[in-house]
Amino acid sequence: MSVHVATVDVPERRGGWTTDTDRRLALLESPVRAVLEPYADSHSDVDRITLVPDAHYPFHPSSGMVTDPAVVGSIAAVLQAQTGADIAVSGATDDTIAFDRAAGYLGYPSVLDRFDVDLVDLAEESRRDCVVSVPEQQLSVSVPDRLLESTVIVVPTLRPTRAGSVAGGIRTLGRLTASVADADLTALGAMRAIEPAFSVLDATTAYGGDPIAADTLATGPTPQVDAIGASLLDRSLESDPVLKHALGADEPSITVESATGDDVDLTALRRRLPDGELPPPDDTHPAVSTAYRLYAAVAGDAVPPQLEQRR
Amino acid sequence: MPSTLLGRWADSNALSLGVLGVGNIGMVHLKSALAMPDVDVVAAADALPANRDRAERAGVARTYDDYTTLLEAEDLDVAVVALPPFLHADAVECAADAGVDVFVEKPLARSTDEADELLETAREANIAVGVDHTLRYQPDMAGVKDDYDDGAVGHVPYASITRLNDHPLGRPPADDAPPEWPLDPDAAGGGSLIELGVHCFDVLEWLFGDLEVRDATMGQSLDIPAEDAATVLLQAPETGTAITLHCGTYQWEQLPEVNTRLRLEGITGTISNQDHLPENFYASAATSALSNVASRLTGSGPDVFGPTFYLQAHYDALADFCTAVREGETPPVDGADGRRTLELAETAYELAEAAESDTLEVPEVMT
Repeated sequence: MSVHVATVDVPERRGGWTTDTDRRLALLESPVRAVLEPYADSHSDVDRITLVPDAHYPFHPSSGMVTDPAVVGSIAAVLQAQTGADIAVSGATDDTIAFDRAAGYLGYPSVLDRFDVDLVDLAEESRRDCVVSVPEQQLSVSVPDRLLESTVIVVPTLRPTRAGSVAGGIRTLGRLTASVADADLTALGAMRAIEPAFSVLDATTAYGGDPIAADTLATGPTPQVDAIGASLLDRSLESDPVLKHALGADEPSITVESATGDDVDLTALRRRLPDGELPPPDDTHPAVSTAYRLYAAVAGDAVPPQLEQRR
Repeated sequence: MPSTLLGRWADSNALSLGVLGVGNIGMVHLKSALAMPDVDVVAAADALPANRDRAERAGVARTYDDYTTLLEAEDLDVAVVALPPFLHADAVECAADAGVDVFVEKPLARSTDEADELLETAREANIAVGVDHTLRYQPDMAGVKDDYDDGAVGHVPYASITRLNDHPLGRPPADDAPPEWPLDPDAAGGGSLIELGVHCFDVLEWLFGDLEVRDATMGQSLDIPAEDAATVLLQAPETGTAITLHCGTYQWEQLPEVNTRLRLEGITGTISNQDHLPENFYASAATSALSNVASRLTGSGPDVFGPTFYLQAHYDALADFCTAVREGETPPVDGADGRRTLELAETAYELAEAAESDTLEVPEVMT
């Protein structure tokens, strides 16, 4: 299976982030069209498309921690022209934040309004249980109907999860589904139930402990695109339980093709990308919290609430 | 200070103190007060059960889910108002009804109009109002002032101050929903200029005297209702100093590191707050530990929040307020100071809005 890669040419760069949304959309138009081209024929007759970005929290898109709404808007514009399909962008309210709030702060509504694309909170939509095969068991996953009844295209950003694995398209789908299994198995089950058409990896800005303007887009089957993402972040495919099972015997056969005909040098990109982790989960670095508690015990001082580890 | 306040606490052994709102900063005040000699923390109030539980674990005797109930039920001398800004005026009014002096978290109010009403209420009730503007209590800022007042770099034609953090959205990983009110200008009084800029205004007037706001611009990195960046050009006529102030709530922060920079560019060199900071957290913690153990042996007062100078500043600010109340003096940072920071912020907002709405005039082209 091939993964198609295109770079985003940013002439006269001023910093790593282009603030003006119109300019970002203009810069993205050609590479987005190029990476979607291989799917133009196969999806020309679909009437309903759901784009699923990584919009889990309002971290600024220049951090690489979320999918750039301009990338999603650009994909929607190209697909509209190619298919005439009814397109929606979906996410789900979770325990952390309401989807409309996160997407709103990220600027999704203002981008999507230009293309008459709806923003849909899947937490408010109907869902059904699907039984799928995951390693060593049959798993029932609760999936929003929309993701079962429309052509799903996942648009993850290139970043690690809290646990250190690549976030990727499979885990992005996993966050929208529910099961009694752990997050990894749920993600695997979600992908098998939803059967996404393909993924578009938004590596225009990537995060690997630090953000970097990677100016890269990649399309392909969701597991293969996730594998490319993991490789770019220097993560082992073998030690990632989701990728290991999602790829199965296909892993060695991933080929990378340039979507534009230009040379694609993922090795050079991999060297540029930092391979770090997310910051520690507490407000304070755990080593500092530990040191403070030790200090407070010795000195009889109070521990500030900001330096207490979360309970 | 009204004469009726003089001697009010002369026969009292300890100030009876309650904390209204025990979120993060309210808990800092609560823990500070619990560590103070001659202060008896009798109660705390918060609408959130988790915050009340945390206050009880910290050692407060009684908690309430409503600050008005606390003020009615308890016999307080001092109330710390650490509620969201939209509740400050109401809380002060309730405290005034009960004759309780108030130490109010910044901003004092959401506007100068609201501050005026709040201060009039306090004046009529004859209660003291202090405001938690803490930068001037930080050792790095005090070091800058000492150097400046010593004439260490001669005349200072230019100064700059920057204060950045990530309130309220935070940094990854995302664990908690950000509160709504800090992003709502109607509830908070504004964005980062009200959240952080007011602290900067306060410390700048402490250093340079009265300021004049000359220009300002606001920025938004995300599609949020309030600004998350503010840049203000100021002039200090008394010292002949031009000043730029930049504050923002867009930058990820990991405690104990804080991004507060103050630089005074003088004729013979630069005074920087960075030169007055503890070199690193661990060394500072070790020093404070030794100091506190020595304090135990000598019976003198220990440091509170010793290794975290910016939290120690909150302790010192509240301690100074309590001392002023006890001695019948005007609080060192009082309601007028709090109102003044709001006045400067409002001028900055007006100038930024005027600049934003100005249409560019197309110059006539001579052919």
